[in-house]
Amino acid sequence: MTTEAATTSIRTEERASLLGRVSGSVLVRLIVRRVLIAIPLLLAISILVFAMLEAIPGDPARNQAGMDATEEEVEAVRKQMGLDRPPVERYLTWLVGFVTGDLGRSSVSGQSVVSLLSERTWVTVELVVLAFVVSLALAIPVALMAARKPGGFFDRVVMVISMTLLAVPNYVMALLLVLVFAVILRVLPAIGYVPIEDGLAANLRSVTLPVLALAVPLACFYARFLRGDLVEQINSADYVETARAKGVGPWKVLWRHAFRNSSFGLLTLVGLNIGGLVGGTVIIEQIFSMPGLGVLMLQGVMSRDTAVVQICVFIFAAVAVLANLVVDVMYAVLDPRIRYGNR
Amino acid sequence: MNNGRSGRSAARLLGTVVLAAGLVVSTVACAGGGGEDTGDGGGATGDPTAGGELTVLLDAAFAGGWATGLDPATSNTTGANLAQNSAIFGGLFTLEPDGDGGKIVENQAESFSWSDDAKTLTVTLRDGITFSDGTPLNAEAVLWNWIRAFDSGSTGAPRLQLDLSKPAPELSPEFMDSLWAALPADVDKALVEQHLGAIRIVDDLSVSISLANVDGSLVNGFPTSSLNLIASPSAYAELGEGAFSLAPVGAGPFIVESDKMSERLELTKNPDYFKPDLPYLDALTFQSVAGDQVAYQTLLAGQGDVIEGLSSVPLITEAEGNPDVEVHLGAPTSPYVIQLNTRKPPFDDIRAREAIYYATDFKAINTGLFKGEGELSQSFTASGGLFFNPEVDGYRTYDPEKAKQIVEELGGLTVNLGTTDIVTARSVTTALQTQWQEAGIDVTINAEPLGDVITRFIAGDWESLLQTAGAWDPSVGIGVSVRFGSTSPFSGAPLPEGAGSAQDALTQGLTTELDDLLRAAVATTDDDERRAAYDEIAKYISDEAYAPFGMAFSPAQVMRAGVHGPGLDIPIPALSVNQGVLYDRVWVESGNE
Repeated sequence: MTTEAATTSIRTEERASLLGRVSGSVLVRLIVRRVLIAIPLLLAISILVFAMLEAIPGDPARNQAGMDATEEEVEAVRKQMGLDRPPVERYLTWLVGFVTGDLGRSSVSGQSVVSLLSERTWVTVELVVLAFVVSLALAIPVALMAARKPGGFFDRVVMVISMTLLAVPNYVMALLLVLVFAVILRVLPAIGYVPIEDGLAANLRSVTLPVLALAVPLACFYARFLRGDLVEQINSADYVETARAKGVGPWKVLWRHAFRNSSFGLLTLVGLNIGGLVGGTVIIEQIFSMPGLGVLMLQGVMSRDTAVVQICVFIFAAVAVLANLVVDVMYAVLDPRIRYGNR
Repeated sequence: MNNGRSGRSAARLLGTVVLAAGLVVSTVACAGGGGEDTGDGGGATGDPTAGGELTVLLDAAFAGGWATGLDPATSNTTGANLAQNSAIFGGLFTLEPDGDGGKIVENQAESFSWSDDAKTLTVTLRDGITFSDGTPLNAEAVLWNWIRAFDSGSTGAPRLQLDLSKPAPELSPEFMDSLWAALPADVDKALVEQHLGAIRIVDDLSVSISLANVDGSLVNGFPTSSLNLIASPSAYAELGEGAFSLAPVGAGPFIVESDKMSERLELTKNPDYFKPDLPYLDALTFQSVAGDQVAYQTLLAGQGDVIEGLSSVPLITEAEGNPDVEVHLGAPTSPYVIQLNTRKPPFDDIRAREAIYYATDFKAINTGLFKGEGELSQSFTASGGLFFNPEVDGYRTYDPEKAKQIVEELGGLTVNLGTTDIVTARSVTTALQTQWQEAGIDVTINAEPLGDVITRFIAGDWESLLQTAGAWDPSVGIGVSVRFGSTSPFSGAPLPEGAGSAQDALTQGLTTELDDLLRAAVATTDDDERRAAYDEIAKYISDEAYAPFGMAFSPAQVMRAGVHGPGLDIPIPALSVNQGVLYDRVWVESGNE
């Protein structure tokens, strides 16, 4: 090793060590601050959800008891659902239960909420994670290829297709996918969910259409956004000009330079989309008869099963908060200016 | 009984959105399907064959929802879950096909008889029937189930006035222990004792039930009642409340293999079923799906064999043109009705009610919205129902000129027309609004979720509401008394004179002429007398212009070719909403398993 090379190596190690210490402490502070903000936020969400359930017109006990139930039966149902107690007392009971790990029982089925969640959470998690992975896996290469020659044939075709698919709501997308792959081609199931314990291949087959129904519109959105940002970077950013002047090839400019910068915008979008995607599972799970949290929440809303709705919304909100926290952390990891700014 | 309807509107809304998009989809999928008309109820060809499996798709918002479990005593959705109950429990009585209508037939019961005063019904069981756990289905098991049906706190509990005057007989300590263990901890024990006085074991195979008043519709109401479903007390003791609710043990044609509440119910053949060579099927699965469109596509995709109760008219029409599926409409029993609230203006004036009768053209609505598939009725039932009266003498039919004339005479008429927020109902109210406006009536439509409609009913805060009325037996379920009895919370018929409210009428024992007629219609077990009473009731409602009736429409059974059975390709009248399929006799043609 030459002296120059050894010096460079030492400097690099020092810099890495320093960066590690600084970024580590900054990241920890960032995470702690975000978590502290999340607690009152989630509390406010739980109050809001409770208030909204209270504000829905109509009598949930009568709704649950049915049209031909007597007043005595309606009152019995009201008692069974806990609706005979004041709202504040009910909310506080739920909150104390939540904090102590007792989520109570469904007022409709009588099943423990914990057991209901344990059966269903994985289904929704799998759906959401796969939808994100697939949407990014589709969007990134397509956007890079489209941005390589803006206005070219591929770019135009991709933009037209993505605009068309963006205009299709995910429940219509779901029905179209079922029509093509289940009804006409008969290669994938129209409904149902196979747990991963029953075989990975069968599990993936069962989630393919719901995942695509969620991922395709998202992929179109990401692809359009990323392609636009990449083109802007390529056309106007100084660092791109510099890279080109150094003789860096167009693909490398795109991938190593422009994409890295554009990924910040994409990250923001992904963070913002988490809530929408999790919300989208409510309809998609229903259409594909998947036993996930979305269906559980919908059933809970319809029957005003407060214990179930509260925890489902809480989980959805917590996921959104967590996703935004991860995005913030990713920002800090990717962009030194944010790390030092926070410091 | 119709508690399964709770929340139906919300899911229907979702279904509607899906349907709107999906119509295009399904039309494309089936383009070119020439289509034979299979809606004639032609029935099967050839002899039934044993074997095969069937997956039945049920609407998650109604028959496919069993969130409160399948224990007949504690389920709130017994009336909606006819399919599951028929498969697991079979039933003491079944409603069987009978020409264009239906008839009650003994199933696990061998016979029934009434006492001389027609207040006590004795049901005798077939000898030798066992539950699928091997224990006997005897009088003691029926008593255990019937007491639980009355005293478990379910909103689906039977609505019968029992004779509570008799003391409870001495019963074995083992039986009483088993009964108390299966009742809620806070049960009214004194009331249970009174019920034990009214429901008695006559002998090892006979049980009697004594009523406070004659109820001629009692046996007809069995197929939708929890009284019809007899579960194994031994299995309850062994499994406990929770597990039993998920996988109850009956003496029906199938045994629960697995149950994911309100999602999927898998059943296998009961090898000890009491009917020889039945059931035909080896396995039966009920899959809950999100509405008609998803059900139809799932059927086309080959993941389902039967859709029970498809109600979307465009999809039914589409399916009728698809050669790969068969469509069979049931015999209708429940017509649309525009209930008019006679207890407040403007419909406390008979002229305003007459104007609505004359301004309403249900025939045009039937043609325009239902493609003529509905059956027009002038009373509270239709051709599939008992005591159907197709034409009521003096019924006011569509006459817009007369309507205009009355509206002018009244100096104008402003009406609020409410409905449950279901797409079909909203379409009908929009059509009615157009028709009424042509007669000079100013109409505001108010579509709300079912729960809100119920709240309005109870508060009396409504003028006119589009609803459905009737059932196979007019006094069962959402029958004529619910819509027209003066003390029913869902009625707009006048209160008795001297009564300020329904509760007041009940307290004072006051009745209207219509109440007396309604009582007379069930105060006899003679069908001819009941028919005469219902004819009189139909005439009375028509003369007083309480509510114009419209078309009755029965949901369709849609299945892949080669599936047969009573309630599928052999129509049975809808008991309340859907037809009751007799799954022990459902079979699949060889080669189609």
